Amino acid sequence: MTGAQRRLRWLMLGPALAFVGLMIVFPLVYTLYLSFTDAFGAVNAEAGFAGLRNYADALGDGRRFWPAFWRTVVFTVGAVAVEAVLGLALAMLLRKAFRGVRWVRTVLIVPLLTAPVAIGVLWLLILDPTNGVANHLLTAIGLPRQAFLGSVSGSLPTLMAIDVWQWTPMMAILLLAGLSTLPTEPEEAALVDGASAWQRFRHVVLPMLLPALTAAVLLRTVDALKTFDLIYATKGAGGGSAFEAETLNVLAYGLTFDYQEYALASAVLVLFTVVIVGVVLVVRRRPGREAV
Amino acid sequence: MSAKSWLRGGAITVALLVLVLPVVWMVASAFKTNVQITDPGSWLVFTPTLENFGNVLSGGELPSSMLNSLIVGVTSTALSAVLAVPAAWAVGRFRLHGTGSLVLVARIVPAISLLVPWYYLFAQLGLVGSHAVLVLSHMFVSVPLILWVMISFFEGLPVELEEAAQIDGLTPFGTFLRIALPLAMPGIATACVLAFISSWNNFMFALILADEDTKTLPVTLFSFVSYAGTDWGGLMAAATITTLPALAVALLAQKHIVAGLTAGATKG
Amino acid sequence: MPSTRRGFLTMLGAVSAGAALAGCGQGSPGRDTPLRVLAANHVWTRAVRERIGEFEDLVRRRVTISMLTGDQLASAYNVKLNASATDIDVMMVRALQEQALFTRNGWLADLTDLVGGDAEYRWSDFQQAPRTASIVAGRVRSVPVVTERPVLYYRKDLTGPPGTLAELLDSAVRLHDPGRGVFGAVGRGQRTGAVTQWSSFLYSHGGDFVVDGRSAIGSPAAISAYQYYGELLGRAGPPGVANMSLEQAMPVFAQGKAAFYVDADAIYTSIVDPKTSLVRDRVGFAPFPAGPAGSRPYNVPSWSLGINRYSLLQEDSWRFLRWASSPAMVSALQAKGIPGARESAWADLATLTGFPPELAAAMRVNARNGIGSDRPRVLQVGRARDIVGAPLVAGVLGQPVAPAARAADVELAAFLVRDNRHREQR
Repeated sequence: MTGAQRRLRWLMLGPALAFVGLMIVFPLVYTLYLSFTDAFGAVNAEAGFAGLRNYADALGDGRRFWPAFWRTVVFTVGAVAVEAVLGLALAMLLRKAFRGVRWVRTVLIVPLLTAPVAIGVLWLLILDPTNGVANHLLTAIGLPRQAFLGSVSGSLPTLMAIDVWQWTPMMAILLLAGLSTLPTEPEEAALVDGASAWQRFRHVVLPMLLPALTAAVLLRTVDALKTFDLIYATKGAGGGSAFEAETLNVLAYGLTFDYQEYALASAVLVLFTVVIVGVVLVVRRRPGREAV
Repeated sequence: MSAKSWLRGGAITVALLVLVLPVVWMVASAFKTNVQITDPGSWLVFTPTLENFGNVLSGGELPSSMLNSLIVGVTSTALSAVLAVPAAWAVGRFRLHGTGSLVLVARIVPAISLLVPWYYLFAQLGLVGSHAVLVLSHMFVSVPLILWVMISFFEGLPVELEEAAQIDGLTPFGTFLRIALPLAMPGIATACVLAFISSWNNFMFALILADEDTKTLPVTLFSFVSYAGTDWGGLMAAATITTLPALAVALLAQKHIVAGLTAGATKG
Repeated sequence: MPSTRRGFLTMLGAVSAGAALAGCGQGSPGRDTPLRVLAANHVWTRAVRERIGEFEDLVRRRVTISMLTGDQLASAYNVKLNASATDIDVMMVRALQEQALFTRNGWLADLTDLVGGDAEYRWSDFQQAPRTASIVAGRVRSVPVVTERPVLYYRKDLTGPPGTLAELLDSAVRLHDPGRGVFGAVGRGQRTGAVTQWSSFLYSHGGDFVVDGRSAIGSPAAISAYQYYGELLGRAGPPGVANMSLEQAMPVFAQGKAAFYVDADAIYTSIVDPKTSLVRDRVGFAPFPAGPAGSRPYNVPSWSLGINRYSLLQEDSWRFLRWASSPAMVSALQAKGIPGARESAWADLATLTGFPPELAAAMRVNARNGIGSDRPRVLQVGRARDIVGAPLVAGVLGQPVAPAARAADVELAAFLVRDNRHREQR
């Protein structure tokens, strides 16, 4: 590689890197620092050194931390898996042009355009146990009423369903973009060879789409792990009466802004960040190895 | 029409209905009184009222928040694209995935851990309460987003064209500017629309970093969830008003999105 | 580590932003700097905002009033004041929720000399309970502007007002008919939100949250109060009541789906508002029913005004407090249906004509019987409410209350030890 090329690539990549670096180094170091102190109440006051006690407290907390950890895992894996399958199906359905395809694609992104806060309140209203439309519809067709977000066991699945509703179109859009860059010859060749639609999809399209699929799943996974607006708008701080929707992000928010436990919250955030980085590394190492 | 295309049409219709009906419900509720919203007898048949819109628009808060959201959304998206598109190309062409993923760390870190330190930092720099703070914080989300979308996009473009251009005497930067960038326009449009929407809907940053004069729409929207009971009708009206501009942007940019989604389908 | 936290912060900030932060001195603000009021989204705020022109003429300074929901307001304070922000002058705070911690953090200015040194302001005119709630460690940290008591909302067309909690439970269970879409009672069942309403049930059963610095939520009185509340909402409440806060419970009653509803009197406007309510001409108001220990409702300052200690406009901030909580203003606002904390206003029956007569009567009874707190008085109120609320949710969900109360009692005891240690650190 020539010197000019080396200079160029840093010129192209450098500004983005520098911007993110400037914005992130201070908060990261600061959060790390706080996690080793006993900061409580205010961070602009003196605080003592606490060593690893906050980490021990967090990891030894079977009432809030570990349930929140597992809820985060369940929410993310469940929601993103469904979104990937439905998004892929939707992308395949919309792949070939047809009359009105533009309209369809516009409608598709409507859930994406609505603010998560508004979506939270909208679904809260639709799913209201007493007055909501959903229950009126259920009883109209003879099914029992559901408490949805009002019940302890139903909250997390309901939130996952709302997440699926909002983000499946995003998945479909990213996959459509991926599909549109694929060469058509292999598929045409397979068609000539007499492969069925499913065989063409399974053995020709899917392998080629894998890099785009991995990228889309990774993008959604990272965002789903950090879901906050929706849970906060529907379940409030603490994630409900029995903490039934408290994920790690909601827990960290509660510890920070409700309990003012800055030190403990920072430890939770550091652990949470480690979990996310771990997930990213695992997803990236798997299928799309050579491409991503 | 074959049974297969009927099936396809049916599946698409069902998917669209599921996706769009809740939003239709939201818009309809914006034209109802609070009593009608929860009354099953008034689902479809009701006398529409503009009262909710009158209520939420009368304070003047919503229009000024909309302007703020627009300023922050456009500025942060444009600046993010300037930073992220060349970076994405460099990552794609020079195989800098390791370095590139450093930027993606920004997408990974939970935003809550940033708020208190950022506020402190921006307060020291005298930026709190200005649009600049919001632009910077939203760019923090948009740069990685655009980068992420554009890396796979650039990788999907044929290298041969660029190699041919370089043999014809174009510098690597010239190749980017003359060959890759025009080809990538549909992708950039898609990425920018996604970035704009994420900025438009971002709640947490503006909640903490904005003040009365720079408050964005979602924060104003949330303030309708008032202390004493919830004004559902007003909230739905505000949500509708919040959603419409984003929808308009998507419609205007739709040509690009569709082009972006179908780009390369005809390449050969 | 010898460096102070502030030094550490500054150093990091300088490294990260590449900016020289030293000597960022703050001159005194000019006349064009607005007085910034951070407030709750509340009828009080809207009423004051309507009249803000009067005050702006008085101080010749523009005033900006930002409105946020209660929880968001607390978050905004936490972020901004942790950065020693000067862009907040007047702070609307909940004396019983954040005041103690904010005082410990050094965020609230000391108002003792200001309220005491101003004869015209008449600090002694404020009711005893709210005035006491404004004081932390002997110093006044806020002035109360809105007060709240519970009231029993009931459906006149279905039942009369019960005099005791036992009668209330009986009637609620009798009237409970989900098949016809009428529930016996509705109320807050959500863990944190329910604690304040439950406090009246606790006091009326003869219990308290904390007695002599020790947890009292495992006491027989507390357990029977948990039991009672769980039965009322569990047996006669709507589905999903265990997750209802004010925002979900109130519409159920307003939609005509419940016979009884106990909640703050301050929300009556939503119950009688034709836009939100179907029951406005069928709703009755009654004082809090008597329990085994009599009728002991809370009577608390729900919102107060304080001054940011970092504000550069201390003097004008005080002038705002003085104006917004003056005898004339409190009377005027109370006449518009916003209950204040001044004896003079309550003594003047004309200020209560803004309320439905039955409600005004109930409010006066409750104010007389009232106790000045509706939640544990600790530093970390949010955490204490989470602990105290757990057995309450168990009761509403129909789970055994006594074991849950004993577990919560142990948890609250450990919490109080830690909370006291924090309190003494300052």
